[in-house]
Amino acid sequence: MDRKVGLWKETMQGLKTWARVNSPWVLHFNSGSCNGCDIEILATLTPRFDVERFGIKLQASPRQADILLCTGPVTRQARERLLRIYGQMPEPKFVVAIGSCALSGGVFQGCYNVMDGVDHVIPVNAFIPGCPPRPEAIIDGVVKLLSSLSAPTSKTQPQPLEVEKVSV
Amino acid sequence: MESKREPERFTIAIGPQHPALKEPGSFQFTVDGEIVTKAYVRLGYAHRGIEKAAEQRNWIQDLYLLERICGICSHIHATAYCLAVEQLAHVEASARAQAIRVLVAELERIHSHFLWIGVSAHEAGFDTLFMYSWRDRETVMDLLEGLTGNRVNYSANVLGGVKCDIDGEQRTAILKGMDFLEKRARHYLDVLTNDGMFLQRTRGIAVMSRTQAEVMGAIGPTARASNVARDVRVESPYAAYKQYPVTMALDTRGDLEARFVVRVNELFESFRLIRLILDTLPEGELMVRFPRRVPAGEVVMRVEAPRGELFYFIKSNGSDRPERLKVRTPTICNITSVIKLAVGHQLADVPMILAGIDPCFSCNDRTVQLSHAEDGSSCMMKWEDLRRHGIEHYQGLCK
Amino acid sequence: MNAEEILTLASSIVSSWDWATETSRPNPKQLDVKVNSLQELVPIVVGLRVKRLGYLSAIVCLDPGPESKEMEVLYHFCPGDAVIALRVRVPRENGALPSLCEVIPGAEVFERELHEMFGVEITGLHTPDRLYLPDDWPANVYPMRKDFDPNVLSAN
Repeated sequence: MDRKVGLWKETMQGLKTWARVNSPWVLHFNSGSCNGCDIEILATLTPRFDVERFGIKLQASPRQADILLCTGPVTRQARERLLRIYGQMPEPKFVVAIGSCALSGGVFQGCYNVMDGVDHVIPVNAFIPGCPPRPEAIIDGVVKLLSSLSAPTSKTQPQPLEVEKVSV
Repeated sequence: MESKREPERFTIAIGPQHPALKEPGSFQFTVDGEIVTKAYVRLGYAHRGIEKAAEQRNWIQDLYLLERICGICSHIHATAYCLAVEQLAHVEASARAQAIRVLVAELERIHSHFLWIGVSAHEAGFDTLFMYSWRDRETVMDLLEGLTGNRVNYSANVLGGVKCDIDGEQRTAILKGMDFLEKRARHYLDVLTNDGMFLQRTRGIAVMSRTQAEVMGAIGPTARASNVARDVRVESPYAAYKQYPVTMALDTRGDLEARFVVRVNELFESFRLIRLILDTLPEGELMVRFPRRVPAGEVVMRVEAPRGELFYFIKSNGSDRPERLKVRTPTICNITSVIKLAVGHQLADVPMILAGIDPCFSCNDRTVQLSHAEDGSSCMMKWEDLRRHGIEHYQGLCK
Repeated sequence: MNAEEILTLASSIVSSWDWATETSRPNPKQLDVKVNSLQELVPIVVGLRVKRLGYLSAIVCLDPGPESKEMEVLYHFCPGDAVIALRVRVPRENGALPSLCEVIPGAEVFERELHEMFGVEITGLHTPDRLYLPDDWPANVYPMRKDFDPNVLSAN
């Protein structure tokens, strides 16, 4: 009986991972960025880059999102909202910090109203450097995160991975 | 949906927010039925303390800081800064450098207006137009990347000139790009002025008379759509605009449709200007020597960003960093006009009224607090909900 | 009108009454007007508006530092090609200025920013609430003043 329950749980987990990896729902949050990274994220939706062919769907509600794409150096005013949105996302959830500002504060490091990076506020799973990163780099980062999710040995949250800056 | 009864007010939280916590809403509207009777704005989500940071960085570091005030109009911020500091240091960039600055500025205006056409179409629920205009925008992104090395935050400016030059190959590519984009812009003008569904959201909506625009301090294409002839490139030409004069795009109707038409007409003017610059690009060096310390003094520099007049005030005390640097972005002037214009309009029109001024769209995270005039109750809405409310309202009218 | 004509007109507006102002021309396109009495500020602005020179582009505050007893507030009017800067001195402690929002509704956002960044009281402002600073920012801490150290009040 225990073996059957164990097998059932494993199958369901596999199915959930498959769904999450093949059609992740993504929430985009701007925590005070200059909009450079945000327009490159939006550009991934548009016909040239077309991220929807990977099954990635941009969502407006945190309660239905798997992945949070966060840009900006996190201003004090945005910090509360970021924490709240992170809290509303159901487990398992993953956070991708996009752009130099989200990594370390970027050019705004040390400014009085800035938290110097998303990982000072919430745990981050993937960092995508760039100012701003190209849409290809953003897609590459998200796809790398997804492949680490579908790896058979990863039963816990993946370790943060760094994406190489894509140079053309 | 949860509700929490307090002594005098009845607060309903709509959408996936925590019902007990009051969101620091960016916009607050008081509504009487569907009509907005009062409006109020609270910003701050993108306030990073840049003016203070600029006082602690040297003149060169500040260039890289100020480029990142806004990713959509990064070049015009850098241009304003460079022109201002060059004026303080009594340094004049070469004619070629100034012409290249204007060329990149006009390419940026093109990218910004195409971006805006897509984003406002999205606000109206017209996602096909959003996808098409952003696809076409990739053409100008490629041109900017070929010229400067980056799609966004081009960093073409240096104190004393520009970093990038234009060779024959780039010239051919830019001219080809302009031909393609001009055809697309004509198509969008046709769609924006003839598509019945879209015109329902724009024609006759949010009319701002010339007097109102002047009183409320509207600037940029928002004001020009109300026949206010205000364009820094024409009134106070800077960089190479004296050699390459601009014709202002004006409209007398003052409604949302006029704001669309003015921006598309500005695109045509940009195409013309770019072709002219490429044909008559003056010879000269790209950059001149610039001192580390800038002589003491004050300077005011005004430039025309895609959204309107951008104002820079810089005070130097003779050291290697500014004593005071003030940036007044155009959106803050136009937000006042939106707030006052929204009063008397339907709630369903609010997303398009805001889109009409071309705001920095980090405001997409904004929330809206609605207060009901009759009973004083209030509720919170996500912008996405307000946008859908507008789309459904007008779809309902069509049935 | 070109810059010279605009500035000549502006000079005549400012000097037409017996105001205690001093004017100077730091460069061919700019007129600096030192407004020595606060009561004159709003009437001068009204005078400029009446002659269609009253497009307020920005309000800038200069803080020389804690050793100085005063700060200087500049109102930049930019009609056409010219710049008219009204320069007003306010005390650093308990400084107050009259609001322009009855005359220029768009001045409200500039004045809100002036108040929260520099601590200048604006009398007659319709909505004196915070504009840019976060809700949890401590009271009486003005980040743009020279004696504010961003490292001391780090967001971290």
